[in-house]
Amino acid sequence: MYCIKCGAELGISETACPLCKTKVCHPDIEIIKEEGLYPNGKYPKIKAESKLVHIIFALLVLLPILITLICDFQFNHSVTWSGYVVGAIILGYITLFLPKWFNKPNPTIFVPCVFAATALYLWYINYAVGGSWFWNFALPAVIGVALIVVTVAVLLHYLRRGRLFIFGGASIALGGFMLLLEFLMSGAFAGVKFIGWSLYPLVTFVILGGVLIFLGISRSARETMKRIFFI
Amino acid sequence: MAKKLRWLPLDNAAKIYPAARRQNWSNVFRLSATLSESVDRNILQSALEVTLSRFPSIAVRLRRGVFWYYLEQLPYTVKIKDEYSYPLTRMTKAETRNCALRVIVYKNRIAIEIFHSLTDGNGALVFLKTLVAEYLTQKYGISIPATHGVLDRNEEPSDAELEDSYQKYAGKLLASRKENTAWHLSGTPEAKGFINLTCFEIPVKAALEKAHEYNVSLNTFICAAMMMALQNMQEQKVSQQKLRRPIKVLIPVNLRKLFESKTLRNFVLYTTPEILPKLGRYSFEEICKVIHHHVALDATPKQMSMKIAANVQSERIMALKLTPLFIKNFVMKAVYDTVGECKSCLSLSNLGRADIPDEMKPYIKRFDFILGVQATCPSNCGVISYGDTLYINLVRNIRESDLEYNFYKVLKEFSLPVKLQSNFE
Repeated sequence: MYCIKCGAELGISETACPLCKTKVCHPDIEIIKEEGLYPNGKYPKIKAESKLVHIIFALLVLLPILITLICDFQFNHSVTWSGYVVGAIILGYITLFLPKWFNKPNPTIFVPCVFAATALYLWYINYAVGGSWFWNFALPAVIGVALIVVTVAVLLHYLRRGRLFIFGGASIALGGFMLLLEFLMSGAFAGVKFIGWSLYPLVTFVILGGVLIFLGISRSARETMKRIFFI
Repeated sequence: MAKKLRWLPLDNAAKIYPAARRQNWSNVFRLSATLSESVDRNILQSALEVTLSRFPSIAVRLRRGVFWYYLEQLPYTVKIKDEYSYPLTRMTKAETRNCALRVIVYKNRIAIEIFHSLTDGNGALVFLKTLVAEYLTQKYGISIPATHGVLDRNEEPSDAELEDSYQKYAGKLLASRKENTAWHLSGTPEAKGFINLTCFEIPVKAALEKAHEYNVSLNTFICAAMMMALQNMQEQKVSQQKLRRPIKVLIPVNLRKLFESKTLRNFVLYTTPEILPKLGRYSFEEICKVIHHHVALDATPKQMSMKIAANVQSERIMALKLTPLFIKNFVMKAVYDTVGECKSCLSLSNLGRADIPDEMKPYIKRFDFILGVQATCPSNCGVISYGDTLYINLVRNIRESDLEYNFYKVLKEFSLPVKLQSNFE
């Protein structure tokens, strides 16, 4: 029996050519189906990875939270300073350990989660200290950083190439964000003027981004840099 | 004396495999014998029990010590398993902790799958031949002499069979580990860890004639064909010549042929001939010459003793011996990931001719040798010949069959009659 596309001789049990995947076909010969080298459709059961380690670790994280809360309650009879500690521990856990529960954590989901948790934590601090800087400064600042970082994470996750362009673009966006940051600070806090210090990081980031994009475009420049900076 | 043996430390080569394994990969290989009739599972189970007592270094499980892993004799017998849709399904850590050997039956075929820490291909072939000999003896009542790699099941295992021969033959000078990084094959991963197997069946006589035309051995000829296929593939994928990376194939060298050793444990090292497509296209003759001379220079007792010394020296340092296992694992894995697999495009392991006593020949149709894929290299190749046929088993865990197709085209250019079989569903 031969493959009609690539001409390879095939074993009698083959249903398709292993090289080009063309189905075995001969109009004049009735193909008798024999069982192949291996049984069809029989897969080993893949046991889910034990979550015991993650559960134990989560319980270990709970321990300092509980101790902090109990101590605070004993001395102050309410949640005062322990709120910051608990918030920081939860934020750290969400950032570093929550993705470990999943076999293939998708950064396009977990990175926004981290920023959402950060915004929530900042809102709590603002609420606890009776501040008025969350809505007009902290939230827009977090959203600004989140937009840049999430875009980079999504592009890195789904695109195989063009990293220099991604980081170059992110660098320029970060420069622009510095302007926004100073603008927000001038609105939220007294005594901060708009367009002062932010020009320096803006120029630096734009130059850095421009260089990265230039390196992305020019292969010869890339090779020159490799040659100069080889370790 | 060996019967009293309850545990043994891993040999020098075996130490890297438990450290280097990861969640979806461990270093396992398969050998199988296809009989002329269906396998009787009850008789095979009985034959297995007899054979396992003769191979105390194979009837083991892998356990953790504080400083090293070790092999522990099985307190129970190995149960025969059923075949899945693909060979070499993942051997988990839990499985090696219970038993690092699988015996699988499918219709006429008896297969063994072994974690590489236990033994190498040659040791496993001796085990398989002995198992099949015992099975045939029990089923048909024939008497099979203990020759051609079949061991006497009534004999006690000798100390020589259980020794770590690396320690014995380590030289005084150390070989350099410096090597070029090879071109890396890649593709779309298969779902559910499926492994595609393509078996190339070629008449030995025709392949040998072609090899002799180029004045090289059959092994060199197959390796040259593989490197030619890799060269063609790289030309298709990397259009600019100056960006092409070295093509290297890792060839295991059976050290039992170079040194006096009867060990049934690992006693194998590697040599990696390479071509540099950056310099231009290599003709088949040129590739044959490169491999022939590289192997001739490298696969010598003196050269290999230097390589053994380089591996053995590090495990003899007291400070390293006293380092806890989890730190050793971390470091060994990092070393394996950075300087291990990236030094070759794939492995091509040739077990040579599977010789068996004449009494067994009417009952055995074929032998197969299948190497598992590596952690990051998607393809691997195992070769064995039996009777008049050469069986080249190429495995891959990616969908694209480019390597198989290019390899087939190279073989067809030599007008070799190639028959293909696969586990393609």
